[in-house]
Amino acid sequence: MQTDDLISLMSMDSRPVDTGWLRRTTWLSAFAALAATAGLVLLTLGTRPDLASAWTTLPVIAKAAFGASVAAIALVLFQNSLRPGLKPARRLPLVALPLLAAAGWALLTLAQAPAEQWHALIFGRYWRACLIAVPLYALLPLVVLLLLARRGAPVDSALTGACAGLASAGLATIAYSLHCPDDTAPFLATWYTIATAIMTALGALILPRFLRW
Amino acid sequence: MSLQELETQLRPIFLAALAGDAAAYRLFLDTISLRLRGYLRQMLARAGRTEASEAEDVLQETLLALHLSRHTYDAASPVTAWAHAIARYKLVDHLRRSGRHVGALPLEDEAHQLAGPPESAAVDARLDLARAMEALPERTRRLIDQVKLQGTSVADAATAAGMTETAAKVAIHRGLQAMAQFLSKRRKQP
Repeated sequence: MQTDDLISLMSMDSRPVDTGWLRRTTWLSAFAALAATAGLVLLTLGTRPDLASAWTTLPVIAKAAFGASVAAIALVLFQNSLRPGLKPARRLPLVALPLLAAAGWALLTLAQAPAEQWHALIFGRYWRACLIAVPLYALLPLVVLLLLARRGAPVDSALTGACAGLASAGLATIAYSLHCPDDTAPFLATWYTIATAIMTALGALILPRFLRW
Repeated sequence: MSLQELETQLRPIFLAALAGDAAAYRLFLDTISLRLRGYLRQMLARAGRTEASEAEDVLQETLLALHLSRHTYDAASPVTAWAHAIARYKLVDHLRRSGRHVGALPLEDEAHQLAGPPESAAVDARLDLARAMEALPERTRRLIDQVKLQGTSVADAATAAGMTETAAKVAIHRGLQAMAQFLSKRRKQP
């Protein structure tokens, strides 16, 4: 087939194109995935026993805000990474801001506490549960974002995968904050950050296999 | 022509095409394909490949990808950067698939090359798209043959292939999707 024939064919398939679809669908899917993940947490683990009184306290809000800011930044970059010609990789360091804020708060807390409390502040009661649960619950939003990414045109699929991993960890953090009974800043900064890093690496390594077009 | 001039020329045309203007879309495709052909030949030559038919193959694959990815264009960004990024992705993929490592390709080539001399002389592609065509359903293939013979009217081609115009449009869209899919599947099993 001649290139001119191909062009004739394509111009016959001309129709109005909605360039806002990807943006809207990214946010809608993220909210839907968050709701589903939160539902899954409630169904499988239940809320922390004191959620009714605790949900307005700083540590619970901080956990949700940490997850929400990581997810929001990552979702913007994710959406941009599905559009060729934009260069969202340059803005990837922005994701470090909530992580650094959490780390700063954690160091401040440790500095003010006696050294013998450090172990309890960092490890809390259920650090293993957090480290396993957050990546596990994050698989749900990760799959949703993967399906969405296949509708875009990712030219840097490792970046798309990393952003999807980051966003899914952020969303799972919000959902898991309904259950997680550990409330110290060093706990948040250590285990949630590690869980986020795990998902980012997983996304960057696994997703590119499914994102060729 | 500078990249800026090319952008100024192409952007309003492409925005009209996205709004559904078929004539504008045709003009956009004609213009961008000249630029992309020049870019692809130049880059393939740098990788030690001088056969024009190979560039034509990658060009056709790139055009299909542009067509099926129109919804990924961000209206606030330059359309030349969008087209270049897609061409580059398809080029790197083509080189990888055909067993040459991409080392010879400058990693950060920029869209400026689109502003280089346009290459108008289309040459015959090798067999890629012809083979993709064979994978299409009989009716769609007949329709596409009609389009090639009759020129540019969907209505005429539809009548000749015994379809309604709407059915013909749907068949063309599915046909283009199937061809793109065929090309990217073949890539996974070289």
